[in-house]
Amino acid sequence: MKIVTIKTPDQVIIPLQQHDGAVCDSLVSVGDIVSVGQLIGDGEFRIHSSVSGEVTAVSELPHPTGKDVLSVVIKTHNGEKREIEPVELSAGKIRRIIRDAGIIEPNGHPTLRTKEDIDTIVVNGTNTWDLSSYEALMLDHPSEVIYGLKALMETVGATKAFIVIELGSEALHVMRTETIPDNNIKVIATQGYYPPGTENTLSKKFAKKKVPRGSTPEDRGVLVSSIAAMKAIYDALCDGEPMIKKVVTVAGAVGSPRDVLVDIGTPIGYMIKECGGCSGTPVKLIVNGAISGAAQYSDEVPVIKTTTGLLVQTESDIEREPQAPCINCAWCVDECPIGLMPHLLYGYADSAQFDKCAELHIGDCVECGRCAYVCPSKLPIVQIIKYGKHGVAVMEESE
Amino acid sequence: MTYTISPLPHVKSKESVKSVMWGTVAALIPITVAAIYLFGLPALTIVLATVTTAVVTEIVIYKAASQPITISDGNAVLIGLLLALIMPPSVPIWVPIIGAAFAIAIPKYIFGGTGTLVFHPALIGFAFLLAAWPTLMGTGSTPNLGSFSDLLIETGAGRLVEASPALVLLGGAFVLYKRYVDRRVALSATILLLLLMPIVGMGSQLPYVLTGGYFLGLIFLAADPVTSPVTKKGRLIYGTMLVLLILIQLHFDTYFAGMCFAVLLMNVFSPFIDKNTIPKPIGGK
Repeated sequence: MKIVTIKTPDQVIIPLQQHDGAVCDSLVSVGDIVSVGQLIGDGEFRIHSSVSGEVTAVSELPHPTGKDVLSVVIKTHNGEKREIEPVELSAGKIRRIIRDAGIIEPNGHPTLRTKEDIDTIVVNGTNTWDLSSYEALMLDHPSEVIYGLKALMETVGATKAFIVIELGSEALHVMRTETIPDNNIKVIATQGYYPPGTENTLSKKFAKKKVPRGSTPEDRGVLVSSIAAMKAIYDALCDGEPMIKKVVTVAGAVGSPRDVLVDIGTPIGYMIKECGGCSGTPVKLIVNGAISGAAQYSDEVPVIKTTTGLLVQTESDIEREPQAPCINCAWCVDECPIGLMPHLLYGYADSAQFDKCAELHIGDCVECGRCAYVCPSKLPIVQIIKYGKHGVAVMEESE
Repeated sequence: MTYTISPLPHVKSKESVKSVMWGTVAALIPITVAAIYLFGLPALTIVLATVTTAVVTEIVIYKAASQPITISDGNAVLIGLLLALIMPPSVPIWVPIIGAAFAIAIPKYIFGGTGTLVFHPALIGFAFLLAAWPTLMGTGSTPNLGSFSDLLIETGAGRLVEASPALVLLGGAFVLYKRYVDRRVALSATILLLLLMPIVGMGSQLPYVLTGGYFLGLIFLAADPVTSPVTKKGRLIYGTMLVLLILIQLHFDTYFAGMCFAVLLMNVFSPFIDKNTIPKPIGGK
């Protein structure tokens, strides 16, 4: 088994916003006793308690996105076993169970979003850099992943599915073996780079359905999901467990880097301690991958539904190369998964020419960070593009 | 405990402008050594004088303009070395010195320094010298690939770079592999040129382009990142147009200078090509 289960911390912090959208309403208040799997946040989406215990606070606390978000703090009661509710399955029910389980993709979108007719499902199983949680899930739970996928296919009425796995990954063989009896599930080996948010790219490349700007793959009958969601669907259907656990890759300067199964709401500091603590002085804590992730200012930040990894960097890991002017090498243009012109967007946004930015579709950027990674001039392309997006929004508002 | 925060990405590739420039310089070292072996002391003097002048000029100009001196990025050394390599060994030493000073002062500094250039500085330096002292810039012989050994050491070489086509290709393979120059331009232009010449009936002139000069021009000069287009489609168009221009000049003359002017002319088109080949992002209409 690759995945190591981390024991529940003394206290969990469950933010009431773990997806793209509004903050949920809190259903609990200070002093309430909650049990595992109990609904504690409702609204646009559902959030469940990952532990049994007592609510000690409902307040604004640090969130992995860098903002403070209304969160429920629960002090864990030890020794309390959760009760598994048996679930009766029927097609109509599966849809409701998946919805009620609050399953969210790493990019913040709910897995089941629309009622559109879906004919193809693309499952992203690619891992990049320090992230390996999808691979670990496929190696440890191949049949569960396929079960979840089949259930999802049945629910939405999809006739075929593609599982996209990195070339050279161990999981490739495992998943191919697992899908031999199914003619409608195909495992594809790829060399591409698919960070969260590149749903349209995945849809175009593997389902051969181009998604026009302003619409989603669902509109074209394609549902783009991930390995983590497949496992979550299995847990919801077979164990009656809502999305309260997450497999997270802990990498970098820690005692024993590995993939761990943690309760949602576990502070990242606790997770580091359970992985053997930091080797050296930690300088940067990065959630969700070295390239696309966000650096945290506090180790009190909890693991949420969209968390896929944690990277600990020490001073020697941090790049502090000076910037040089852009030399038009076009590496960023070759690298962009969306087909934008990152160096032009950088130049225009940097000189506040937001109309030009809008013309070059700055809004399509998924902020994957690939351009800034390859840039030989070490330009902070993504940071300036974010500024450009803000500038475009302000410009459009004033018009 | 305080932690550092910064915008993504949190790791960056090892390649930098410095490694690109110095890597390209390193790729040109084998051919420089071959040229010194073939031509002896004059070649060594030209290389040293040109590179030194380029570096000194850059220091003087940037100091006078109170701008940060960026000698360490290797750009001035690269410009000097490229200019030296396209000199004939018989040229009086003051000619490439003037050329190097000019190449740094006008096409590089006046046009805004590294990254903002319109024309390749080494080629502008070459064109300037050719216009000013055509007789001094003339070559004693024209390379003509006769036998296989000419690929390794070309005894008929008229310029430093023509000393060994194989070694230019070796350096070229290195920079193409490392993507220090653009692959699309270099490959499409080289392959297209070699394919098209027999087809349009100029196969008899093929030995004239299988020389170090043409390989240097197509790989190191035409595909230079700064002056070639950025869009994927644009780079193919650029390479194709360049080959057409070279074919036209080959029809009249088998002279290396023609290729330099073809590249310079294409440099003019480069921004225009870029502007008209901006790709549609995924999902764009």
